[in-house]
Amino acid sequence: MKILLGTFHKDVDYYIVQEDGVISIEIDPENVYTPNYAFVKSRDLIIGSDDPVRTGEGVFDFRYGPVTSGVGEAGIYHLYTYGERILSVDVDLSYKHRNISKRIIGLDFKSALKMVEKVCGNFTFSHSLAFTRAVESANGINVDSKSEKLRTTALELERIYNHLYVIYQLAQAAAQKVLTSHMSYLFEESLRMNKNFSGSRYLKGFNDIGGIKNFDERRFENLKSDLQRITSEFGELYKGVLESGNFLDRLYSTAVLNSSEAINIGITGPTLRATGIKEDLRLNDPKYKNLKIPTKNEGDSLARMEVRAEEIFESQRVILDQIESSDENNETGYEKGFGYCESPSGTVAYRVDVKDSKISDIYIVTPSFFAFKGIANALRGNIFTDFQFAVESFGMNFADGAL
Amino acid sequence: MIWWPTRGLKRSLTEKTFQPSKEKVRTMKIFKRSMHICTIDVGNSNLLNFEIKALQSAQYNTHRFGIYFSDSPRHADLLIVLGTPTEKMITPLMNTIAQMPEPFGILIVEEDDEMDLDLPNVVGRLKNPEPSDILSTLLKIMERN
Repeated sequence: MKILLGTFHKDVDYYIVQEDGVISIEIDPENVYTPNYAFVKSRDLIIGSDDPVRTGEGVFDFRYGPVTSGVGEAGIYHLYTYGERILSVDVDLSYKHRNISKRIIGLDFKSALKMVEKVCGNFTFSHSLAFTRAVESANGINVDSKSEKLRTTALELERIYNHLYVIYQLAQAAAQKVLTSHMSYLFEESLRMNKNFSGSRYLKGFNDIGGIKNFDERRFENLKSDLQRITSEFGELYKGVLESGNFLDRLYSTAVLNSSEAINIGITGPTLRATGIKEDLRLNDPKYKNLKIPTKNEGDSLARMEVRAEEIFESQRVILDQIESSDENNETGYEKGFGYCESPSGTVAYRVDVKDSKISDIYIVTPSFFAFKGIANALRGNIFTDFQFAVESFGMNFADGAL
Repeated sequence: MIWWPTRGLKRSLTEKTFQPSKEKVRTMKIFKRSMHICTIDVGNSNLLNFEIKALQSAQYNTHRFGIYFSDSPRHADLLIVLGTPTEKMITPLMNTIAQMPEPFGILIVEEDDEMDLDLPNVVGRLKNPEPSDILSTLLKIMERN
């Protein structure tokens, strides 16, 4: 199944397409990927659901944001409701738009990397990894195997704290006070683990073009014990989650997104895996050995939470594997000026043009942009109190979507 | 499996020690016993939002100092402005400030970019803080240390 993630024009139209864990740039004269072509091409900052109902007797535009505790970030959800029922949704990302892809052009690599890390605070490492891979492949720089090992570890650390955060938010939305406190504790502990490992709570400034230098091997020992403590505590909590009926009832059959709809939108990551499709960029990566990809078939908030929870344990196993494994050179080829990686919420990809060791053009693919369309479609027919569960379970944020 | 409510009583997660703040702030003694906080994101990279979420975690336990997070600016004593405003967020920010009841203070928390906007009653400025820095600054504003 081909998923269209982006399109850019350079003499002819190019299409960024993901299929079976590989992303490639294709030229397609017959426009086969039409379902989300207009959506990807326009990159409109106001994203609405398909077949919208905005007016009519008794239809009320409930404006949620930008200053409210329910949304948290600077963005607006226009919920068109009839009574409690949500008929359609418009998401307005323009309040968060910082014009990053324009500001990056003309910068040298170091300051461009700093700007890329500012795209989205909680996906900092995914963005910087995809960007450095793009720049390295454009300049023909080879990365040593030790840096690759550190990069894999850091990417999985980012996945762990983001997934913990999503479950923390879901627990808070369901007013599960005990679970919320314990999850908040684990979330803060995972951020401190990041700091002990990389020097930054959000793995900022850890990655560099050409590889990670000046890393103290002793930090791996602390990482191992911290990681085992956090995941074993989470394992115990998760057992309790699966037995807590009044928590699961809130998530079950909330905001269902089926697989064909998800592919037509361009959704990747845990959201797609929760609809039963085994699609992950790590599958074809030789650094990941015997990777188990958890999938669920329901496509509701509960399935998305379960996929995320199981990925935490899998990420822990990958990191321990990386610590034990010896350095070996695994060549992974990227197209010239193109780099990507699997962020906690889906595919992040960068395509750059380089001129005189400066960035002359850039195209960024972020997972949140597609997730908002998924939310807008999945929320139709749900009632207003399901809103928080739907939104948090997708794991997206405005900073990532609006750029 | 332990019954949910008894889990909470089993262990204490609150941290007792923390560093006093070195930041320059304007203190507001009137809020010494209780301060309600409203946060507004005006265009940061979501990192500062995460730090605020981390501040509400069990380790810091802000409720023991009387620090509460309020959902509305009308119920708040202190407004925390997170980030540097994007063009479209300047009007909502000014409208929010207009809704704050007197007396109030504004704490500016920013990332690398500096804010060049004149806001009233600014009590302090933080740059790339960790939750412990934010908490100790709040306590200094309340004159508790």
